[in-house]
Amino acid sequence: MTSPQQGISLTIVAHEDVHLAIAKMRDGWGDSYQKMAAVARLSRADLEKLGLKENAKVELTGPAGSVVVTVRSDASLEAGIGVMPSSLYTNRLASYEPGSSTLFSKHIESRAVPTEKGITPVANLIVRRNRA
Amino acid sequence: MIERDGGVPLSSRTLVCTGCGCLCDDIQVEVDGAHLGRIENACAKGAAYLQAAFNPERRAQSTIRGQGCSPEAAIDEAARLLSRASRRLILGLDNSTLETQSVAIDLTRKLGAVIDDASSFSYGPLIERIIKKELPTCSLSEVKNKADLLLYWGANPTATHPRHLSKYTYYAYADFNPAGWYPKVTLSSIDVRQTELTAMSQPAFKIKPGGDRELISGLAGESPTVTDQARQLSELVKKSRFCAIFCGLGLVHSLDGDCSAFTRMVQLLSQSIRMAVIPMIAETNMLGFTQSLRKQTSYVNQVSFADGVSYGREFSILEQVHHQAADCILIVGSDPFSTLPQLLLSKLHGVDIICLDHFSTLTSEAADVVVPTTAPGVESGGDLVRLDGESVALAELIKGGFARQEEVLRQLLQKVRP
Repeated sequence: MTSPQQGISLTIVAHEDVHLAIAKMRDGWGDSYQKMAAVARLSRADLEKLGLKENAKVELTGPAGSVVVTVRSDASLEAGIGVMPSSLYTNRLASYEPGSSTLFSKHIESRAVPTEKGITPVANLIVRRNRA
Repeated sequence: MIERDGGVPLSSRTLVCTGCGCLCDDIQVEVDGAHLGRIENACAKGAAYLQAAFNPERRAQSTIRGQGCSPEAAIDEAARLLSRASRRLILGLDNSTLETQSVAIDLTRKLGAVIDDASSFSYGPLIERIIKKELPTCSLSEVKNKADLLLYWGANPTATHPRHLSKYTYYAYADFNPAGWYPKVTLSSIDVRQTELTAMSQPAFKIKPGGDRELISGLAGESPTVTDQARQLSELVKKSRFCAIFCGLGLVHSLDGDCSAFTRMVQLLSQSIRMAVIPMIAETNMLGFTQSLRKQTSYVNQVSFADGVSYGREFSILEQVHHQAADCILIVGSDPFSTLPQLLLSKLHGVDIICLDHFSTLTSEAADVVVPTTAPGVESGGDLVRLDGESVALAELIKGGFARQEEVLRQLLQKVRP
């Protein structure tokens, strides 16, 4: 028996979300975007394994980075599958394998661990460049 | 002309929505000068796009390294950066008109640069097989009322193309069952999760992430063990007369650039029934870009003009960024800073980035030089190729006061030194 703090492995399926697209179009990268994007839907079984209830927080770590998001229960999902809207949050998790014809941002192998940390602010996910 | 309260006339116009790949041509808008009034027929996504296009706060501004400047100064600086660079990359263009794409290819050729679009990491392999006629396709008007099986594979149009079902496919059918509830066509879907579409589908096939290949080999008769799902899907397809497959990014990502098994499956099924494959491209003119580039180079994407015409994976956006191959990138009407993994974007430090766009985006915020342009379909016209290969003409709705993308590119074409 593993403890919830050890976390679980998840395949995060990223998908287009029309409400998120509209929020981005209307308000840019503001609160409404963060509220909709920083959400992962997990199966009830996985929520139980993590010892989490609806709207608790989880830290997801993918091949390229970590984010803290809210969890929601989704009865239609099988254990081991998580669902998130494609966003700056999934872009933080996703990697790229040289030579590949696709981005590894659709099915992202991740680890989920319960956390008390705050939701990752969307501002922290924006890549800023040092202009010459 | 119609009148608003107070008797001041408003201009009522019909336009093509460029909010997604559907390019709905029946959008009615009321325009008062530069202000947008009522919008009719548009979906929520299209309406949000049009409202943003009319919102001055969402517009890109002329800047050089974050400082405001005139558009002319921004174009001069863009020309200077492109001229001094030795390894230039031109990317984006999937939401640009054919006219813009043509000038961009000319500019790439003059500079001996690399050109690529998002098709190189999405629909490119599928589009190439459709262009080469290895995969059968048809227009959306041919699908409507004629196809008796609509199969959405790894696609959820309710999220990506909100009017696809109502304007072009399922709900657009004229004949309904005797009770009057359902159109006389079978709607089916293949997806890894439950969506609004799978709830409507009869049947919906739920597969595991990456499970597309198993289904394809089962349908193609290439697998020694055929799953129940593959058998059920095979029976569904074979009892139809005309099956239209709408391929989404879910399928494309599972195939990872290798469409050979999918092509064999479609070709096999085509021996007994009519099949048509239509990619669910989200961009407004990805098909136009790939067709234009192929006409000039024989390749749909990933082309270098450094030494004649070369094609290869090393010229894809992803490889170019990953290997820091370019020292100057011109991005036209695209926002890679909001779509690419941040791991890749972090490799762009020290690279000169020039952005042409009508919207303020994460890419325009990150760019060294920003040249604002007109919004295609609102402030400028032009031609597009819809996701089913049909030509669509955009009209100029209002005068925006910005230069068109192709005008900016023509100026760059004159000013740059290879």
